[in-house]
Amino acid sequence: MAKPKVAFYWCASCGGCEEAVVDLNEDILKVVEAVDIVFWPVALDFKKKDVEAMGDGEIAASFINGAIRTEEQEEMVKLLRKKSGLIVAFGSCSHLGGIPGLANFWNRETIFTKVYKTVPSMANPSGIVPQQKTNIPEGELTLPEFYDTVKTLDQTIDVDYYLPGCAPPPDLIMNAVTAILESKLPEKGAVLAPEKSLCDTCPRGEKKPEKLSIKEIKRPYEIIPNPEKCFLEEGIICLGPVTRSGCGERCINANMPCRGCFGPTKEVVDQGAKGISAIASILGVEDEEKMTEEDTKKLIDQIVDPAGLFYMYSLPSSLLKRKRMA
Amino acid sequence: MAERIGVYVCKCGPNIGDKIDVDAIVNEVKGIEDVAVAKSHNLLCSGDGLKFLKEEIKNEKLSRVVIAACTPKQYEVKFMKACEEAGLNPYLMQMTNIREQCAWVTPDKSAATEKAKSFVIASINRVSLQESIEKKKIDIQPNVLVVGGGVAGLEACLSLAQKSRKVYLVEKSPCIGGLTARFEEVYPTMECAPCMIAPELQEVLQKENIETFTYSEIEEVVGSFGNFTVKVKKKARYVSEEACIGCDACLEPCPVEVSNEYDEGLSTRKAIYLPFAGGLPNVPVIDKDNCKRFKGEECSICKENCAFDAINFDDEDKTIEKNVGAIILATGATLFDPKELPQYGYGKYDNVLTAMQLERLNASNGPTGGKIQLKNGKEPKSIAFIYCVGREEKGYCSGICCMYSLTLAHLVKEKLPEVKMHNFYTDLCLPKKEHQKIYKEAMEKGIEFIRSEEDVTVTDGGEKIIVGTNGKKVSVDMVVLAPAVEPNADTEKIAEILDIPRDDQGFFAEEHTLMKPFATALEGVFVVGSCQGPKDIGDAVAQGGAAAGRILSRLIPGEKLELEAKVSEINEDLCSGCNICIILCPYSAISRDAEKKIAVVDETLCRGCGTCVSACPTGAARAKHFTKEQIFAEIKGVVR
Amino acid sequence: MNEPTIVSFLCNWCSYEGADKAGGARLNYPANIRIVRVMCSGRVDPEFVIQALKEGASGVLILGCHPGDCHYKKGNYKALRRAHLLKKTLKQLGIEEERVRLDWVAAGEGERFAKVANEMAETMKNLGPLELS
Repeated sequence: MAKPKVAFYWCASCGGCEEAVVDLNEDILKVVEAVDIVFWPVALDFKKKDVEAMGDGEIAASFINGAIRTEEQEEMVKLLRKKSGLIVAFGSCSHLGGIPGLANFWNRETIFTKVYKTVPSMANPSGIVPQQKTNIPEGELTLPEFYDTVKTLDQTIDVDYYLPGCAPPPDLIMNAVTAILESKLPEKGAVLAPEKSLCDTCPRGEKKPEKLSIKEIKRPYEIIPNPEKCFLEEGIICLGPVTRSGCGERCINANMPCRGCFGPTKEVVDQGAKGISAIASILGVEDEEKMTEEDTKKLIDQIVDPAGLFYMYSLPSSLLKRKRMA
Repeated sequence: MAERIGVYVCKCGPNIGDKIDVDAIVNEVKGIEDVAVAKSHNLLCSGDGLKFLKEEIKNEKLSRVVIAACTPKQYEVKFMKACEEAGLNPYLMQMTNIREQCAWVTPDKSAATEKAKSFVIASINRVSLQESIEKKKIDIQPNVLVVGGGVAGLEACLSLAQKSRKVYLVEKSPCIGGLTARFEEVYPTMECAPCMIAPELQEVLQKENIETFTYSEIEEVVGSFGNFTVKVKKKARYVSEEACIGCDACLEPCPVEVSNEYDEGLSTRKAIYLPFAGGLPNVPVIDKDNCKRFKGEECSICKENCAFDAINFDDEDKTIEKNVGAIILATGATLFDPKELPQYGYGKYDNVLTAMQLERLNASNGPTGGKIQLKNGKEPKSIAFIYCVGREEKGYCSGICCMYSLTLAHLVKEKLPEVKMHNFYTDLCLPKKEHQKIYKEAMEKGIEFIRSEEDVTVTDGGEKIIVGTNGKKVSVDMVVLAPAVEPNADTEKIAEILDIPRDDQGFFAEEHTLMKPFATALEGVFVVGSCQGPKDIGDAVAQGGAAAGRILSRLIPGEKLELEAKVSEINEDLCSGCNICIILCPYSAISRDAEKKIAVVDETLCRGCGTCVSACPTGAARAKHFTKEQIFAEIKGVVR
Repeated sequence: MNEPTIVSFLCNWCSYEGADKAGGARLNYPANIRIVRVMCSGRVDPEFVIQALKEGASGVLILGCHPGDCHYKKGNYKALRRAHLLKKTLKQLGIEEERVRLDWVAAGEGERFAKVANEMAETMKNLGPLELS
């Protein structure tokens, strides 16, 4: 029997998800043994026309990482959707929008202006910006459209499963691949990671105070976090409570607070809004009866960039999706 | 199976009918999916209206009901009852306000109609997602624990003790009666305090349904309203309460003498002692910290002098466990220590006393048998009272010091008619209907009142003490300080055991200053008497009765306790033990299950505010009847 | 309906009664003030606020008991913290801070309710509808 076909594709991404596949180390041999990789731009020489030539649903599963922000990416993922049985959104960017999603604080015009014109290191006196169509003697050159808004994969095509993380950890990847090969997948639309948040597995959970409150905000550069204490206890905002677990607390173990790359748990509609609610609720809560409204606001204002912090990985997947431009 | 929603829009006579096109609304919502019937009615809250509603529910086989009418704050309960009577769970009904919040505030009819329509549609959306809720009922323990045997605690005990309810009274000291038992006469009636409370003391000690543990303290409390388990440490008395007949033969021979704290250090007592003459129960106690035998020396003189073999050196502390439904804290307060204000000379000059010390001097069961005397045994010819000692430091008026000082002045003047008295006060606190009279009488008796605008000074006058203010100085034999009332050491300790809050001054925090001055934020734990705040005997007794009253009405022997329906519940499969909700609950309803590493809501304590639900970072917490989905559905409807 | 709506979360014990009092006194305020009843201002989840804006509201009003008077003791303090942090975040996301207002209305304050409702409606009218792309 022929091996099932799989494809890997990248959209607006950093390449880390491709490396995550390589990070499987010896296990990659198991994968290669079990499947036929028919499309993987970073590693193999298959072309778009090879995919176009396939029958609908011929690819058993396509793992797509990266967010959707150009016409080309949209076209490719739609093609892969047509040709694939299953689509797995691989990594934070395709799942939630990821770091590229932060571009949703801007749009094409403002980005181009900054990048090509106003940035201090730019010398572009004639103000040239990329054009979708350019006429040259030889003919017309085209570039894919650069969208105003970064989208998640499921805002572009129908997605079957999500492998969260920036990047997804090797064990989660292996579990997902195994589940696909053995046809032991959960309900469509599931995120292939545990249901609970990081606090459930966090090594700092044992000694966490039962009555948790934040007296003052500390940014990670301001103090050296105590490796045994919950970050929140020391005033460092950690998004662990609003973030799905499964990552093995890689950041926590490096003595850095969680930044939410696995996205929210299933009942949460907007990870950023929930983070805001959870953290604000315990800010200065011990003295809440004594604090004036002014004091309270000053304390809250210690969080200098709430939108960037709470929506760091999830802006395109949030309720508002992007900043409203004037 | 599809839902069958019945939508009923009340015209409320002309109130809604004239301002809103009710028929237009009814006609439009008829077409909404799952709406089985939509009708208007002239007056749903009337007898006819309720009958109509019940018939509709039955005849139309409705599974949900929407009522658009006046404010639910008025008749929601009535309509919920009607649903229940018609066989529909009352939480499957949603009532929306199109009168106070629509018809009465929107002059333009079409705008009012649009708004009302959006409210009705929002309610249809919401009710579709509502769930039937049965109010949980739990078995309860009708017994009550009262901590503290002063007047407030005694009143509570006597109000509560009945045939099917036991009261356990735990008193820290060897005797009950609290501070009152150590006063001689109390204001405003100027009656003998020990006589006044004697009947209560006797009743408490002898009543069948009251079990008293003296020389005991509470150590641990677990559980919640209706079902507390309390561990009481009964300290070893070394004298058997059953065998002792109260002859006092053991006291005299004891070779040890230490300062008597019950006489405010004005006298000594033995290592085996009764706090004061007449103390009940009339059974001495051995102070093992000072007893020769317990310090390792050979001595059994007391035992040798006991003809009833009541003394047992092998007595041990015991831990007793009791199950109770409610706890009343009546642990009293203490006086501010004037040593903290050296300008008053307390501890420096021999004859500067606190009012409590003067109480003991005046008491017939006190160190001098009631004789007012200086340290050298002579009678004072002049006394200065200084009021408000510590008031500024504490930041509150204790409300009883002016009165007790006036009382003491009267009583001393009676014993020493020639004594000259000078009362230095800042403001006079004479709140009740009897108090002003006592002040007037004091003035008539020639007691001098000096209002001090600046600090009162107490300085050495050789044989005398000089007390002065505003340039005026008097030279007196004795100075009596009226210290503020402050929380005693037990307040902090017990607040920790029970995990109840204390106010800024350290007293137990009452749940609501005006409406629930006897309850705490922890359901089932009540605070009465001066442990909640300084007060006189009358107020302490009243408060004791109030707390008892609440318990009598809620913990009924043989009946179950009904719990709040709209509580928060936490999904075990989603709760990740982040602990964020635990500190947010003002009723301590959420605790951590260390084994499962999750948070758990105690439904007996949850009052359904939903604060924890909105903070929950995983969506594990859910507010019954106010879920996120229900609110989202309602939002969708109101934005039309 | 021409004017976009203002979703108003009123707490059962204080502001909802305040709104009732405004009704009893026949005070007027615009019909785009749309009321959603919650038990406590502490129940108002930032997700509700954003969802309301997303569903088409031009603004969100959250009214609770005055600080110190919360029926459930301290819910309104949490509401204050969340509202302030949410407004800061919304501002960064291009949504004017005035579109979300947290204020305090007691059970007897009918006039105050009407005043706040009218102010909010006026402010939203001046800001215009919230057009989210």
